[in-house]
Amino acid sequence: MSWAWFHKLGSPKWFFSWSKSWALPLFCVGCVCLFVGLVWGLAFAPADYQQGNSFRIIYIHVPVAMLAQSCYLALGVAGFVFLVWQMKMAPVFIKSMAPVGAVMALIALVSGAIWGKPTWGTWWVWDARLTSVLVLFLLYMGIIALQNSLDDLVLVNKAAAVISVLGLINLPIIKYSVVLLETLHQGPTFTLTKKPEMPPEMWLPLLFSVIGLYCFVAGLVLWRMQTEILKREHRSNWVKQEVMEHGL
Amino acid sequence: MTYSSFIRSEFLVLWRRKQDIFNALLFFIIVVALFPIGINSSAEFLAPAAAGIVWCAVMLAILMAVEGMFKEDYWDGSLEQWIVSGLSLPLLILLKVIVQWLVVVAPLLVMMPLFSEMLYLPSLSFWVLIMTLLLGSPSLFFIGAVGAALTMSIKQGAVLVMLLILPFYLPVIIFSTLAVKAAEAGLPYSGLLAMLLAMSLLSLVISPLMTAIAVKASVN
Repeated sequence: MSWAWFHKLGSPKWFFSWSKSWALPLFCVGCVCLFVGLVWGLAFAPADYQQGNSFRIIYIHVPVAMLAQSCYLALGVAGFVFLVWQMKMAPVFIKSMAPVGAVMALIALVSGAIWGKPTWGTWWVWDARLTSVLVLFLLYMGIIALQNSLDDLVLVNKAAAVISVLGLINLPIIKYSVVLLETLHQGPTFTLTKKPEMPPEMWLPLLFSVIGLYCFVAGLVLWRMQTEILKREHRSNWVKQEVMEHGL
Repeated sequence: MTYSSFIRSEFLVLWRRKQDIFNALLFFIIVVALFPIGINSSAEFLAPAAAGIVWCAVMLAILMAVEGMFKEDYWDGSLEQWIVSGLSLPLLILLKVIVQWLVVVAPLLVMMPLFSEMLYLPSLSFWVLIMTLLLGSPSLFFIGAVGAALTMSIKQGAVLVMLLILPFYLPVIIFSTLAVKAAEAGLPYSGLLAMLLAMSLLSLVISPLMTAIAVKASVN
């Protein structure tokens, strides 16, 4: 297998032109899937026999919570890639991804609290999963704070990568907190190995909104990365040409 | 520069700047005092909460002590000397963290009998608390060293270090207080102590390498 495609990703110029053709389609597909999933889930899916209509927030809560974890996983992988292979694009990715992940974690916390009120009778409990997602949110905010307060770009890149890799330790804690520890939170909705316990007309819209949100975030991050590349490479010739030809 | 001269100079620097260590210890005392004053000073409240109070205060005090660990070295150029000395940078950092740990944790442990009396800690869990401090505090220093190294070039970095590092401290405080609670309830607690030791050993392996990366990036 050739690794050329992988090494090509390290070049800002190549990445820029590649991402230009991917960002918009991904974003549009994401929006459509998200729309289908949400409308289907919120308006047409059958009500849960235990939780009634309040369960419908699952179509927001689960995708967002999955994204919050996936974004952090991506950050950690990017940090590792940067520390080992010194790829130029990895810090750009971390910089663009961190705020998106932070928003996802925040929405997951808020929607979880709103879901918790009718089902558990309380906005918040200090159990393992809720607390570890709160910690995840704080980790995102720490990365953003670090990036904003350091001046030297070389140091910003290294620092963000180091802290992203260290934060990976939180992910297995979140993942297995509902399985291993005693908690109020229900078990995982989707697993790769088992059939979902919900009927298809309940989990299909969920699948749509999960895939939709993934594409939506991917498109969004590609756009943010393009902006970040333009900022960082503003001295290089190809950026000048690019701006002259297509504008900003 | 050799390893032994490095250790000697580190001890000497800490000895000459004793006030920093005293500040951290005084900070510990004040944080502990906040709880009985601010919440409830009765023995019924303090006895079950004592281990948690001590651990919160220890965490903050250690963070205060660790936060500026590399600042002096950064601004006076010692870090450049470490890098050009030909000695292994992660090893130097490891030695520095161990020296820091000895100097800060030893007085904390000496003060502990006093505080366990003041907070009405049940006597049978006193030694468990000491054990959690001994086994858990190294990881606090190792994790804190990474944060200190990442932020050493910022003049006012204390709040940033808190923001970055405190989330990583949470597992340590969770297992420590669980161990003390288990001891008070008469349950086995050796597994929880083993988890603390595991966290310290894991951070011992990872932190010097990560700190070295951060130090090199800051000095360039």
